[in-house]
Amino acid sequence: MNKDIVLSIDGLKTQFKVGKRIVHAVNDVSLSVKRGKTLGIVGESGCGKSVTAHSVVQLLPKTGNICKGTIKYSPEVGKEYVLSDYKRDSKEIRSIRGKHISMIFQDPLSSLDPVYTIGKQIEEILFEHEKISKNEARKRIIDLLAKLGIPKPEERYNHYPHQFSGGMKQRVMIAIAMVCNPKLLIADEPTTALDVTIQAQILSLMRDIQKDYGTSIILITHNMGIVAEACDEVAVMYMGRIVEYGPLEKVFNNPLHPYTSALLRSVPVLGIDKNTELRSIRGNTPDGSDVFQGCEFSPRCDQICQHCKDGHPPVRVVEEGHEVRCWLYEGSGGSDHK
Amino acid sequence: MLGYFFKRVLLLIPKLLIISILIFIGLSFVPGDPIDHLIPPDQRAKLSPVQLETLRESLGLNEKLPVRYLRWISGVLKGDFGYSMVSGASIRVMIARRLPATLELAFFGLVIANILGLTLGYISSIKHNSIIDYTNTTLGIIGTSVPEFFLGLCCIAIFSLHLGWLPTGGRVAVGKETFFDRIEYLVLPVLCLAIGYIATLMRYTRGSMLDVLNKDYIKAARSKGISEFRVNCNHGLRNALIPVMIILVNRIPVLVSGAVIIENIFNYPGMGRMILDAISCSDIPVVMFSTMVIATMILVSSLLVDMLAALLDPRIRFN
Ligand SMILES: Nc1ncnc2c1ncn2[C@@H]1O[C@H](COP(=O)(O)OP(=O)(O)OP(=O)(O)O)[C@@H](O)[C@H]1O
Ligand code: SF4
Ligand SMILES: [Mg+2]
Repeated sequence: MNKDIVLSIDGLKTQFKVGKRIVHAVNDVSLSVKRGKTLGIVGESGCGKSVTAHSVVQLLPKTGNICKGTIKYSPEVGKEYVLSDYKRDSKEIRSIRGKHISMIFQDPLSSLDPVYTIGKQIEEILFEHEKISKNEARKRIIDLLAKLGIPKPEERYNHYPHQFSGGMKQRVMIAIAMVCNPKLLIADEPTTALDVTIQAQILSLMRDIQKDYGTSIILITHNMGIVAEACDEVAVMYMGRIVEYGPLEKVFNNPLHPYTSALLRSVPVLGIDKNTELRSIRGNTPDGSDVFQGCEFSPRCDQICQHCKDGHPPVRVVEEGHEVRCWLYEGSGGSDHK
Repeated sequence: MLGYFFKRVLLLIPKLLIISILIFIGLSFVPGDPIDHLIPPDQRAKLSPVQLETLRESLGLNEKLPVRYLRWISGVLKGDFGYSMVSGASIRVMIARRLPATLELAFFGLVIANILGLTLGYISSIKHNSIIDYTNTTLGIIGTSVPEFFLGLCCIAIFSLHLGWLPTGGRVAVGKETFFDRIEYLVLPVLCLAIGYIATLMRYTRGSMLDVLNKDYIKAARSKGISEFRVNCNHGLRNALIPVMIILVNRIPVLVSGAVIIENIFNYPGMGRMILDAISCSDIPVVMFSTMVIATMILVSSLLVDMLAALLDPRIRFN
């Protein structure tokens, strides 16, 4: 594994069993997160962003299973753990969860346990992973709360979640995620449930954290604006596959996949020309249990060609670090992924 | 929070007064002349209407309803609960003998029902859709649908008459009085009383747990790396208990009526049998007072459960 990489996912395939049906939630996803950088995963609802993230720390529900692929985590150069080999809820994966790789969830309102004080909920993760006295823990948590912009942290320590506003709750969630100083933070739509001003605050808070602690971040979102603002690299997902993957500027300045271009057209990005028409992508995301002969995007694609219905497009590296999964780039001088 | 409970306790007083008035009025409509039960039939036949009238007068049966109520309630407040019209025994003495027996039955019934109901419901939810879960659920449906009297009779037929393991009824053998001597008498009634409760509690705990386990904060707790057991107990069960507690309150009257039936089947000398005996011979003072005792028990226990719910749920506590 490259020494700059903290997490690498290779050929991940995750399925759900719903009754007798198999839902292919994630198909052949490969990506890597660079140390101290932010990778954005973007895509419509249901495309498999959360399932990818949950697969990393084996947080899938019992009906979900990783059936192929490897997930490697390297906390520091020379050290490497193969997370996909661990059993769900095994001691090994639990010692990674929360300590090395922590998560922030979409809805801060429902992600905090209503019956415990926030102090207790932050303590819980600290006591699980570190030998630390009650007093030390309290001091460290209060310092962290102050740093995360929660006013009167000593008092707030003993408050219950229902006594906090949404934005403050998300700060508490960030405190829970950051208290053990993890190497990788997975933020699953951390701002979707918040209003716009609070969104901006939380995003800038995450940037500050990254600067101060050198934390790598996977930022999951369906908002291209947030990607533009917060990410170094971006993976565009569609129906369980990554259809385009590359550094932020390359993907934004030169979107290769028709889906990426459509996404960029459909989202108002800061500084957008007022005369540009915002467009929605026609059609809906198909169901994960549907099996496609050809390209999954073909029913909605404007640039469909004769190949598209015959088979899955392979991954093409079109320029250095910029990959796309689309028949349009077949024979365009790029090279095969593998 | 203390203030809130103080208010709740104070509110008990008017509630009990209103209940006592309602019961008093209700019982005044009970058909039948209580005099009939006070004297043996052959003597009653010999009494002239005038003599009967003086007897009624001397017993205070002829006064207006409010007067009788005031006389009764002021007596109760002074600790004078009146006398049985049938046996002439002091009601206070009767209650002092019967209430502990019923409390003992209810206490063990509740403890066992809570332990088993919560544990089985918890296991069912954790092993959701497994054989254990299906077995529990099936037994639960049987448990809630079989009436207590039938269960009681079956238990007596099997364990007492056929196998001879346990006594058919009563509370303690003659000449013995320690608690250990009473245990064998408690087993069957407690079990019969508890089974419906266990089944209900199990179903609600299971449902509530399954609901809670789908919540985001459970996933968030898991993402902290704490063990599955701690996630299920500290976050799952802890939250699932809140609605279950509220259901518990609503079931208390059912428990009481169950106790009345069970006591009669097992010939258990508690309040339940006393009430049924009193009703069957129109012993109004006894019926009146024991109904009040039961009403008080129900009110106090629902208050206790409310307090428990507030202790469990900070959102209630701080509102
Ligand atoms: N527990 C589950 N059981 C069955 N299918 C599931 C389950 N969880 C997710 N899926 C399926 O996996 C697919 C991907 O879901 P996922 O939650 O990763 O989407 P997402 O990209 O995170 O969407 P959103 O933006 O709505 O969060 C969906 O199509 C969904 O049907
Ligand atoms: S493969 Fe064909 S259908 Fe799919 S995105 Fe590319 S052009 Fe469109
Ligand atoms: Mg999601």
